Amino acid sequence: MEKSEGQAPDGARRSFFAWLIMASAGLIGISLAVPLGGYVISPALKRREKSWVDAGPVGDLPVGEPAQRDVVMTLADGYREIAAVKGVWALRRETNDVTVYSPICTHLGCGFRWDGDEKKFKCPCHGSMFDTEGKVVGGPAPRPLDRLPVKIENGRLMVQYQEFKSGVKAQEEI
Amino acid sequence: MASKLYAWLDSRLKLKPVKDTLLDEPIPGGASWIYVFGSATLFLFALQAITGMFLAVYYAPTPDHAYDSVRYIETQVLFGAFVRGLHHWGASAMVVVIGLHMLQVFLYGAYKPPREAMWIVGVLLLLLTMGFAFTGYLLPWDQNAYWATQVGINMAGGVPFVGTFLVKVMRGGEMLGALTLSRFFAVHVLFLPATIAVLVALHMFILRRVGPAGPWSGGLDRRGKRPESSPAPPRPEGQPSPPSGERRARRSEPFYPRQVFMDAVVMLGVFAVVAVLALTVAFPLADKANPSDHSFIPVPEWYFLFYYQFLKYMEGPILGPIATWVIPGGFIALLLALPFLDPSKDRAPSSRRTVLGLGALFLVGVFALVGLSLHDLQEMKRTDPAVASGKALYDQFGCIGCHRVHAAGGSVGPDLSYVGDHRDRDWLIKHFRDPQSTSPGSIMPKFPLDERQLTDLTAYMLSLKKGA
Repeated sequence: MEKSEGQAPDGARRSFFAWLIMASAGLIGISLAVPLGGYVISPALKRREKSWVDAGPVGDLPVGEPAQRDVVMTLADGYREIAAVKGVWALRRETNDVTVYSPICTHLGCGFRWDGDEKKFKCPCHGSMFDTEGKVVGGPAPRPLDRLPVKIENGRLMVQYQEFKSGVKAQEEI
Repeated sequence: MASKLYAWLDSRLKLKPVKDTLLDEPIPGGASWIYVFGSATLFLFALQAITGMFLAVYYAPTPDHAYDSVRYIETQVLFGAFVRGLHHWGASAMVVVIGLHMLQVFLYGAYKPPREAMWIVGVLLLLLTMGFAFTGYLLPWDQNAYWATQVGINMAGGVPFVGTFLVKVMRGGEMLGALTLSRFFAVHVLFLPATIAVLVALHMFILRRVGPAGPWSGGLDRRGKRPESSPAPPRPEGQPSPPSGERRARRSEPFYPRQVFMDAVVMLGVFAVVAVLALTVAFPLADKANPSDHSFIPVPEWYFLFYYQFLKYMEGPILGPIATWVIPGGFIALLLALPFLDPSKDRAPSSRRTVLGLGALFLVGVFALVGLSLHDLQEMKRTDPAVASGKALYDQFGCIGCHRVHAAGGSVGPDLSYVGDHRDRDWLIKHFRDPQSTSPGSIMPKFPLDERQLTDLTAYMLSLKKGA
C-alpha cells in the first residue's frame, strides 16, 4: 500500500532507500577512484625507453686502462625533454672487446673514480673499491659494478644507458 | 563492522544529535525532485574540486610549460583525458545546474523574507563560479585560452577611472604573460576555493537556520491538486494567498531518506552524463598560445555565448562601455537587491506576475542571443584544424622562402596557390616524405615531419584550390 507522502518511510522501505543511496554513492566513488588512482600512479608504470647512444670512437680508447666517456642522451622528463650527460667508464681489453660500467657506485649511488696507480675503481663516499673486472675488492659495496649493454658500430662504441638500484645485492634496473 | 564502529564513535562523540540534525531536517511539503538542484550543484562543486586537485598533480603554471603539461595529461597520462574531460564538462554541468537551481528558487519565491541572506550568498556563489570559469579558462595556455582571456580582461578596461589600473592588476603588469598565468592559477586553485568553501558553508548554515521554503501556499501543489484537508477557496484575481504555515505543518517529511535518495539519484545521473561526455566528446587543445598571432578569433564557452553575441550589437564609445560594465554591473546589483525589490512574503506565482514575467523575458533574451550566436558561428567558415596546423607548419618550416601562395613568398619552388587542384593526397605525402621520390633532382629539402605533421601539411596543400 502506498504510504501517504507526508510521512517518512520506515522499516523495510527505509532500509531499501538507505541501500539505494549507498549504491549510488558507491557507484560514483568507484567510477572516480579507479581512474584517479591510475592517473596518479601512471608515471610509475612507465618504463624508461632504452636507446643506443654514441660513446665515441673505439679506436681512441687505451687498451687495458679504463677511460671515462661522456654519453649525451635525450631524456623524457614528463612533458619536458632534457639532454643528460653521463660519464660512463669504458675498458677496452682488446681491439673490439669493450666493457662499459655504469658510473654509479653499487653501494649508495656516488660517482666512483679510477685510480691509475692502484689499478682500482675507488668510490670517494664510503671507500668501496672495484678491480678492472668490476669485482668488489674492498669497502661496503654489495655487488660488482653494473655493466651496460655495448655494441660496436662502424668503429664507434654504442652504449645503452641504464640505472640500477643501489645498496642491494641483486642487480635491479630502475 | 560499520555499525560497531559507529556505536564506538557514538559512545564517545555523541553523534546521535548530529545525525538527527543532519538527516531529520523537515522538508516542508515533502521530498520532491524539484529540490535536487542545490545538492546537484554541491556535488558538481566537489567533483570539480577533486578533479582539479588531480589535474594539479601534473599541471605547471608557467607559459613555458603550461601547454605542454596539459598536453601531457591529455595524451600521456593514464585516464588523463578522462580526468580533464570530467573537469571540463563538470564546469559546463555546473552552469546548467546552477541555472536550474536559481530558476527553481526564483519560481518558488524562495528568495523572499526570511531567506534574503541565503539568496544574496547564492548570488555571491554564482559570481565566484564565474570567477572560476574565467580564471580556469586561461590555464591550458592555448590560443583560445590566451585570446579569450585577453578579450575578457580588456572588457574590464572600460570601467571609468579605474579601468586601466584594473586591467594591469588582472594581468599583473603591462602584458598577458607569465605573471598573469601565475595569478590566474593562484586565484583558481587557492583563493577562490577557500572563499567559495566559506560561502557554501554559510549558504547551508542559513538554510538550516531558516529552513527550506517548500511549496508556496494557496496555489496548486506539485501534483496539480489542491490540498485535500484545506481546499483553497476560489480567490478573486490578485488577492494575496493565505499565509504560509498550515500546509507546511500539515505535510512535512524528514530529509532522510526520501529526499536524500532523490538527491543521490540525481547526483549519479549528473555524474553519468558528465562521465559519458568526458569519455566521448574530446576537448582537444588548440595550438599553443601565440601572443603575436592577432588573427586568432577566440570563441568563448557556450555559457558566455549570449553575452558574446550581445557585445556584437553594442559597439561604439557609448554602447560599448554600457555592455561591458554598466549592464553586467547593474544586473549583478539587481540580483543582489531582488529580495528587497520584491519583498512581499506572498510566494504564489499567481500574485507575482510582473516579477516572473521579467524573469521570463530575461530568459527569452538569453536564449535568443544564444540561438543567434550559434547561427553566426555556423555561418562562419570553419577551418579544419588539420588545415590550420598544416598552415602553421608551412610557416614554421619557412616554406614561404621558396614557395608562393597568392603572391606571398619566394619563386624558387613552384607556386602553390592552387596546388590542391593538380596534386592528390598520396602524391603529396610521398613528396613530403622524400621529395626525390616524386620529383627527382628537386632541391626541395627533406623535412623531419612526423606522421601527423605529414597529414596536416598535406591537408593544408589540398585546401589550396581555385574557388576555395
